[in-house]
Amino acid sequence: MAQSVAPEATPSVSAPSGRELLQSKCGQCHTDSMWRDQRQDSKAWEATLYRMMGRGAVWSADDIVSMAGFLGTEFGPQVPKAKR
Amino acid sequence: MRELVGQYLAQTISRRGFLDNLKAAGLTVAAAEGVLSSLNASAQSASASSPSLSPSGTSSASTPAPVRTFQGTGGACFAEQLIACGVKYVFGNSASEDAQFYDALVDRPQLNYILTPHEGPGAAMAAGYIKASQQPAIVMQAGSVGLMNAMGQIFNAYKEQTPLVVYSYRTDQSKRAGRDGFEEIANQEQVVQPLTKYSWMARGSSMIAETVRHAFKSAWTPPHGPSYLTWHSDYTEEKTRTEIIDQSHFDTRMRVRPNPSEIEKAAQMLLDAKMPVLIVGDEVYKAKAVDKVVRLAEMLGMPVTQMRQIWANFPESHPLWVGNAPAGTLASITWPKNYDLAINIGNKMQHSGVAPMVARNVKFIDMRMDYQNMGKVMSTDVPLVGDVALGLEDLIAAIEPLMNNRIKAAAAQRATEVRRYTENARRLLSGIVNNPEWNQSPLIADRLTWEIAQFADPNAIVVHEAGSVAMHSFQFNPLGGRELFYYYGGHLGSGVGTAAGVKLARPQQQVICLVGDGSFLFGPHALWNMARLELPVITVVYNNHAYAGPHSRTVANAPSGRMIETGHFVGSYLGNPDMNMASIAQGFGVRAEVVKNPLELRQALARAKAATLEGKPYLLDVQVARRGVGWTDQPWVPSSNTIKAAAHLAK
Repeated sequence: MAQSVAPEATPSVSAPSGRELLQSKCGQCHTDSMWRDQRQDSKAWEATLYRMMGRGAVWSADDIVSMAGFLGTEFGPQVPKAKR
Repeated sequence: MRELVGQYLAQTISRRGFLDNLKAAGLTVAAAEGVLSSLNASAQSASASSPSLSPSGTSSASTPAPVRTFQGTGGACFAEQLIACGVKYVFGNSASEDAQFYDALVDRPQLNYILTPHEGPGAAMAAGYIKASQQPAIVMQAGSVGLMNAMGQIFNAYKEQTPLVVYSYRTDQSKRAGRDGFEEIANQEQVVQPLTKYSWMARGSSMIAETVRHAFKSAWTPPHGPSYLTWHSDYTEEKTRTEIIDQSHFDTRMRVRPNPSEIEKAAQMLLDAKMPVLIVGDEVYKAKAVDKVVRLAEMLGMPVTQMRQIWANFPESHPLWVGNAPAGTLASITWPKNYDLAINIGNKMQHSGVAPMVARNVKFIDMRMDYQNMGKVMSTDVPLVGDVALGLEDLIAAIEPLMNNRIKAAAAQRATEVRRYTENARRLLSGIVNNPEWNQSPLIADRLTWEIAQFADPNAIVVHEAGSVAMHSFQFNPLGGRELFYYYGGHLGSGVGTAAGVKLARPQQQVICLVGDGSFLFGPHALWNMARLELPVITVVYNNHAYAGPHSRTVANAPSGRMIETGHFVGSYLGNPDMNMASIAQGFGVRAEVVKNPLELRQALARAKAATLEGKPYLLDVQVARRGVGWTDQPWVPSSNTIKAAAHLAK
């Protein structure tokens, strides 16, 4: 099991990418089937991520902007829907 | 007032007459019911010590008061034994075969019959009353047909371990059974057997009282659960002679302590652990042991969490509270991740996934009365079967003398680390108001929840049956603060009934019922009880005209499929036409309004509060935004022509 300490005490080495944040944070509860079919812009993704805070997701505003930026690019309104 | 009480106790004035006089003196119905309830307790204890004669039955004063002989109809025996069991409320739906029981109630003001217009919400109201008061009650239905409506709530009581006692007669009479008669099914009591701790048919009128006792004893012996009793309807009419026995003389008083040697093992393991985590659950609330569990956590500086339960079992503003585990496993908590031991105190630990809720490589101590569910999925290093209040006392007593300076310093260091996390977490979670959709109309659900959290009394009770709504910002605190009554069972339609029962049990506390539109439609009927009994509950319907929870899970369970491609979600959208929950409430006699934006909401909440201060219930139908794949703005609706054409094709 990975060792961890309280987040505030963690020294910042290099900021993880939006993709990495998504995998580590959203992956605590979901697989990507929960979001991969959604198509919306970054602002709407930001709102989606804020909804997770009500469910106990302890994320900073910077984390949310970073994840929303990634999602808005990979799953934005112009991106074709995935095929089975 | 004193004269009025004297008249009531002397039975020279009816229950209704007593209530009418109290109301005429300026009391609300709820306050008057409260006075009546306390008087009934007195009357009940008086009747136990000196049995009285009544038109529908006779008691013999020659036997000792706690165990006495009674002669009367089966219905009167039923009523007498319910009184002896400590029952004050009978929740029922109209049933002609119970006529002799109804007749017996007329002269027994200790038993208050609450007529419920549907058996499901009626049973939910009974369960809500039991959960909030920890007092016995009974719910009754009309034969097998009424039972079928109540079974959903019996299921909930089974899953939630609520001591709900359920009765329905057999419509078929004893000498005509087995002919496939009206409402007759074979082995009626067996229908609910998988959902109950005890299920029995009395084999004669003289066995009614004993069967009632068995049902109450079984339901109320921990771990709690529902029980069911039935008998042929002619037994209720038949004259018989039977023993009536007070609860105090058949209750097993099962408050057992865990095995002392296992307590010692648990204490040592906790002291040896580097990062122990405490999981709490409903047995803590039921045992009134919240203060003890807080003490244990503070002694060891343990982070505390909880998986799906009915109640909030730990103060959410406490610095050791790290939040609920969002996905129902310990691995889903954000922090800590380096725990090496988990101790469960009273959580039922509902396993819905494949993986154990606590990983195999983590030492696990399990303390609860619910021995049947211990060791089912989790490998358990130390099982502590017992009443959690007593178990906590023993565990604390075992740990205290072993707390040397080194251990105390380690616990203090750990507590500092936990506090650093929880302070940061609280700061971040308060950022929920920065959602870019925060001020939108229709409201997002989180905004509605947040507004209600700002509005609720400091000791409000929140009954929550809005499955897809996140319950944030309330800072629940079972030590005299806000309390949560969630649902564990999942048979929907319990929320409104539960809230009515909770308000009946706790008239002094504000009760707010939060329901989704889908849940609400399964069981709004107790609104009528709120109006009739003046139970001033504020009901808030999160109305997004949809089943939001199932929709999200449907998307996740069939990713990239035809539903996604076409937008045809056949089982999610409840609009077109949109249902008006305020109109439904008004039909039940409850004042209500539709709310469309944040500004209207605050004004509407103020009106709701004003109504409740007058003793009246109030409902807000709040229009809430849909969010998620494929249905935010224009959800797909099947063409009525297509549906009709299918019918023609079938012909």
